[in-house]
Amino acid sequence: MFKKVELQEGVTLYIRKSEQFKTVNFSVKWKTALDEKKSAPRAVLANILEESNGRYRSQTEFRNALDELYGTVLYTDAGKRGETHIVSLSAECVNDEYLSEGGVLEEVLSLIKTVIFDPNVVDGQFDETVVNREKRSVKERIRSLYDDKTRYAQKRMLELLRPDSAASAPSYGTEEGVDALTSADLFAAYESMLNEDEIDIYVVGDIDEDEMTEKIRSLLTFNSRKVHERQTATQQTATQEMEVRHVREKQDMKQGKLHLGFTTPVTFRHPDYAKMQMTNGVFGGFAHSKLFINVREKESMAYYASSSYSSHYGLLYVMAGIDAELEEKAVKLISEQLTALQQGEITDLEMEQTKALLANGIKSAFDSARGQIEVFDQYKELDENFTADTIIAGWESVTKEDVKNMASEIKLEIVYLLSGKEAN
Amino acid sequence: MKNIHFDNLQETLYNEKLDNGLDVYILPKRGFSKTFVTFTTKYGSIDRTFIPRGKTEEVTVPDGIAHFLEHKMFEKEDGDVFQKFSVHGASANAFTSFTRTAYLFSATDKLYDNTEILLDFVQEPYFTEKTVDKEKGIIAQEITMYDDQPDWRLYFGTIENLFHEHPVKIDIAGTVASIQDITADYLYECYETFYHPSNMVLFVVGAVDPEEMMAFIKKNQDAKTFDDPAEIVRSFPTEKDTAAITERKLAMDVSKPKLNIGMKCTNTDIDGEEMLIQELSAGLVLDILFGRSSEFYTETYNDGLIDESFSYDFTMENGFGFAMIGSDTDQPEQLEKAIRTTVKNTVETWPITDLELNRMRKKKIGQFMRSLNSPEFIANQFTRYTFNNMNLFDVVPTLEKLTLENLKDAFQTFSDESGYTVYSIVPADKAE
Repeated sequence: MFKKVELQEGVTLYIRKSEQFKTVNFSVKWKTALDEKKSAPRAVLANILEESNGRYRSQTEFRNALDELYGTVLYTDAGKRGETHIVSLSAECVNDEYLSEGGVLEEVLSLIKTVIFDPNVVDGQFDETVVNREKRSVKERIRSLYDDKTRYAQKRMLELLRPDSAASAPSYGTEEGVDALTSADLFAAYESMLNEDEIDIYVVGDIDEDEMTEKIRSLLTFNSRKVHERQTATQQTATQEMEVRHVREKQDMKQGKLHLGFTTPVTFRHPDYAKMQMTNGVFGGFAHSKLFINVREKESMAYYASSSYSSHYGLLYVMAGIDAELEEKAVKLISEQLTALQQGEITDLEMEQTKALLANGIKSAFDSARGQIEVFDQYKELDENFTADTIIAGWESVTKEDVKNMASEIKLEIVYLLSGKEAN
Repeated sequence: MKNIHFDNLQETLYNEKLDNGLDVYILPKRGFSKTFVTFTTKYGSIDRTFIPRGKTEEVTVPDGIAHFLEHKMFEKEDGDVFQKFSVHGASANAFTSFTRTAYLFSATDKLYDNTEILLDFVQEPYFTEKTVDKEKGIIAQEITMYDDQPDWRLYFGTIENLFHEHPVKIDIAGTVASIQDITADYLYECYETFYHPSNMVLFVVGAVDPEEMMAFIKKNQDAKTFDDPAEIVRSFPTEKDTAAITERKLAMDVSKPKLNIGMKCTNTDIDGEEMLIQELSAGLVLDILFGRSSEFYTETYNDGLIDESFSYDFTMENGFGFAMIGSDTDQPEQLEKAIRTTVKNTVETWPITDLELNRMRKKKIGQFMRSLNSPEFIANQFTRYTFNNMNLFDVVPTLEKLTLENLKDAFQTFSDESGYTVYSIVPADKAE
């Protein structure tokens, strides 16, 4: 799907010509080992690079330039996957052929170069005012998570389940971490990102692959660097039957947010990965899944009740919004659905539906440029020559017996309830 | 079947109005593997007072019924419709807005099976008192979930403040109390009135052969019988131009106060080209005054009055319209003042020039082109435009001809301070 070109050791271009889109999409990803100390400076740095640069010294000038380029979108973000921290710079512009004037693509490429290689630096330092402002922004972003009760409950459950590990490490760092940053720290982080990170560059659009490759090669002149393999987190699994932990926390709110954390030895790189995806689908991934049918439709207890499989950490989550007084009943119902799977109570229909929807999901993801980039960036770690069909074939071969076996590997470790009411 | 080719966009749109009144649009997209289909009725939360089909007396139905009906359409005598879509690999969904109820699926396989399920389940109502009662628990949890979302409370609180009488001020899902009054009979009455094919649009976009698909839809529709189309008589209260409530605060468990300013649009009895010009112009004015390249944004962001949550928006439908500007902020009073000053200055001196207009016009054109990559955007927006007698594919040509005068006219429809309201959410410990 993507053509791979190694520009330098550790710097790879993945390029794809597609007539599907009216725009050209770029993404540059800097990857390094996830480390709490690195997340804060890299998150703030991402903001600073998005804000201004050596050519456009203020946000107004920079944003005006992007507006003039037919609203070219350019943004940065910090995130994580498994044990890897990823800073990304994304840009999307309208393909020249749809515009009355040409040259937009050329100019956007030049801007990407500017953003990366010519930051808003004077005497080897980022502007203090900009640094302070963007530190404030990132701190506020971290803090505002509190206002989204579902995300907050999920974060708390993870902190309790896996303290001090990649699974619960924040990709923007902590407020304290951000607070402590100096301009010098940020410049050091910038230099290390530029010179030491593994870099993947993506281009998708109706472009000439060879011509674009040469342009990228001449504009994005990264040095070579050694890349160290980063593995998926090794899953800490309980050897003994562990006591399930119950934690209840309170806030001033109406709905009870019930989050269950399960562990599984099967991670992204495990040979049973596809089987565990199927198991999650039958359990709670879709509107035909056991959780939706039994917790929402039969009992009318919830508007949402679903499971998700976090393969990079070997974790599986269930979340449901319920009346807090019904916690016990809900946990019992959810556990019963897992037990049913473990006992092999799985129908052909459930298998067929889950396979069909997983296939639809992956094929649909490829219908957006961003989806192509993100899915490829993840799956290429398993097999660079994968296609939607090879992934789908992996699900197709999963049997009811496989799902039963996988379900038996799933262990409930924590029940977390965030609610406003007294629950007993 | 008509087809319209948009040369500059390299798109061809196929359209036919069927004998039963259903308006069908098909837009093939090259290179796509999925097809996205929406089946939408022009019936939303604001349609609460009307004359039911076949009757003469006006009724007012319980709040939240259009949304409740949307939920109940998925349940049939032989089970849940999601199950049927799942077997054919389709991911299905539905949503209810102020003015529309849409049912949709996206699929990469078995397009005709899925289209048939969609057409049939929306056109075969099945409600019983038992299933209606069961749904009340689920929807009560949905309403409670939204009650805990500060951004939703802020958005809706602002609308509640702006309107005296218009039902746009009533939450789309109703309240836990109002949905208790919903019965199967009410659902049938609303269904019969608003789900006639002549009040609906079917939009198919993606990997589709237009001729074959149109033939398939026609065959499905021809096999069913419908009453003759009848005019739908809806009734709306008269709405004043002023805001009903000028200021309100709500205490919630949030990390930082939130402020939202609502500005009521006074020219809303319009549709078609006039509406398109007004809403595009209003959007441009807001982009120029409050966008990321604006003086306002630079100053308030520097001063810490706004953060990354800052947003602004202009919404309009036939009968109501409003602009909103808001952000999380530690200094709500100063932010309110800054927004008011910017608007007031615009009223008094009209500082917007062709330079800004041209830049924002380019930005909007680019934004529109980008959104044409999304089948979801095309289907949802095209339907909304059609219900307002506008055409989505007129956006670029209309943007190209907009003048400063258009912007000024649009701005004037929401520039009077008597139509403003301020809604804020404050952390519980700081509430008065």
